[in-house]
Amino acid sequence: MKTIIVLGVAALIAVFIISQYNRLIRLNITVDEAWAQIEVQLKRRADLIPNLVETVKGYATHEQSTFDAVVTARAKATTATTVADTAAADGMLTQALRGLLAVAEAYPDLKASTNFLSLQEELSTTENKVAFSRQFYNDNVRSLNTAVKTVPSSFFAGFAKVTEREFYEVEDPQDRNVPNVKF
Amino acid sequence: MNFRTMQAANRRKTVGLLVGMGVLVWVVVYAALTYFGTSTAGIVPIAVGIALISVWGSYYGSDKLVLTMTGAKLIQESDNPKLFDLIQEVTIASGLPMPKVAIVIDTAPNAFATGRNPEHALIAFTTGILDAMDRDQLQGVIAHEMAHVANRDTLVSAVAATTAGAIAILSDMLTRMMFFGGRRDREGGGNPLALVVSLIILILAPLAAMMLKSAISRKRESLADATAVSFTRNPAGLRSALEVLAADSTVVQQRSTAVAHIWIESPLDSKSVSKLFSTHPPIAERIAVLKSMESLG
Repeated sequence: MKTIIVLGVAALIAVFIISQYNRLIRLNITVDEAWAQIEVQLKRRADLIPNLVETVKGYATHEQSTFDAVVTARAKATTATTVADTAAADGMLTQALRGLLAVAEAYPDLKASTNFLSLQEELSTTENKVAFSRQFYNDNVRSLNTAVKTVPSSFFAGFAKVTEREFYEVEDPQDRNVPNVKF
Repeated sequence: MNFRTMQAANRRKTVGLLVGMGVLVWVVVYAALTYFGTSTAGIVPIAVGIALISVWGSYYGSDKLVLTMTGAKLIQESDNPKLFDLIQEVTIASGLPMPKVAIVIDTAPNAFATGRNPEHALIAFTTGILDAMDRDQLQGVIAHEMAHVANRDTLVSAVAATTAGAIAILSDMLTRMMFFGGRRDREGGGNPLALVVSLIILILAPLAAMMLKSAISRKRESLADATAVSFTRNPAGLRSALEVLAADSTVVQQRSTAVAHIWIESPLDSKSVSKLFSTHPPIAERIAVLKSMESLG
């Protein structure tokens, strides 16, 4: 009888340890997958840019500085490797693309061209996909970091070799542009 | 209230209602045994069995069954690339696999989701909703439907339908038995008050089960709205989509009321169905909840 109780308790402890360990590993894998999704979407956007720039160039010839900004930002975005660098380059590119689309507003012929319209739809869905993959990544980093820091899962983090992960934070000047209030 | 507390509250209420269903089954069985004596215990597994087989079959094949019941046609990415773009956006935001997509040729704006698990999910849109809505509104609708998939609402409603069905069958069988012969074992005697109460319970139980089933459906709709916001973080999109639906008076040419609960907007005329039995919360209430989430920024 005694041995049965001891074995039962040991089994329960084992199940508990295994489930905690697996949860941490699973969270870590989800973060990896979410990161891969960000990279896929950033690549998709980078692939879209040459075509977009060419199309706009065909109509708007005097906007060289805007084109340069987009091309430099794209180059930076495609070479970045760490989370912080990728996020910074991503933010820059988002800004540059906004500038490009603002330029396009001034050219009615360009805005009416079917090529530009389909590119615009593709760019807006890609921007959404990039934004959602960031959000999904950050949500998963939040759950992972919470698990790494809170009891009881925190006891197993070292054993599972799972550490806190970095959030993907995009510097977007537009977010901080608080409108001026005049009295 | 933000979407996280909304989600938690709706989940808790669903669990409470499902427990209520379980208690109701237990009360009906208890009443049956009090009234007819223990010799009738055998019909309980029969009633549950019939309900299980009929509901489980439709649950397992829900994606195919609903296609034939609503007349929806599956489409490919090349048929509507813009719609597929929007759905892909929501799958990225939710981490769900890409569902099958179908179109119902109907001018009334509406949409639904079904499928036994996220891997077998199907979401369908009427041609009316695709024409009536802009990008943000459609994204809100898609997020609401994908939220049903993420929350496993096909399973929840199958469980609710099974218990409601079992209660209906049980009560039906027992009321028939009352006409043919009445109480079989009278040697137990028993207190007359208990007999009257049991009889009332048997008669009212199916009604109570229907009400519980509708209440569960309404909670799942509110939960799907909150989950949709957790996907898009844009309550305004879904809110203005619901406003379009509220302003529209056309109704889907529904072939069967059995699938009424799966649409984003109830295809049944809300005036003819009382609030206790309706499968959806009032659309004005849903809009108000989303507005309160918008004000949180």
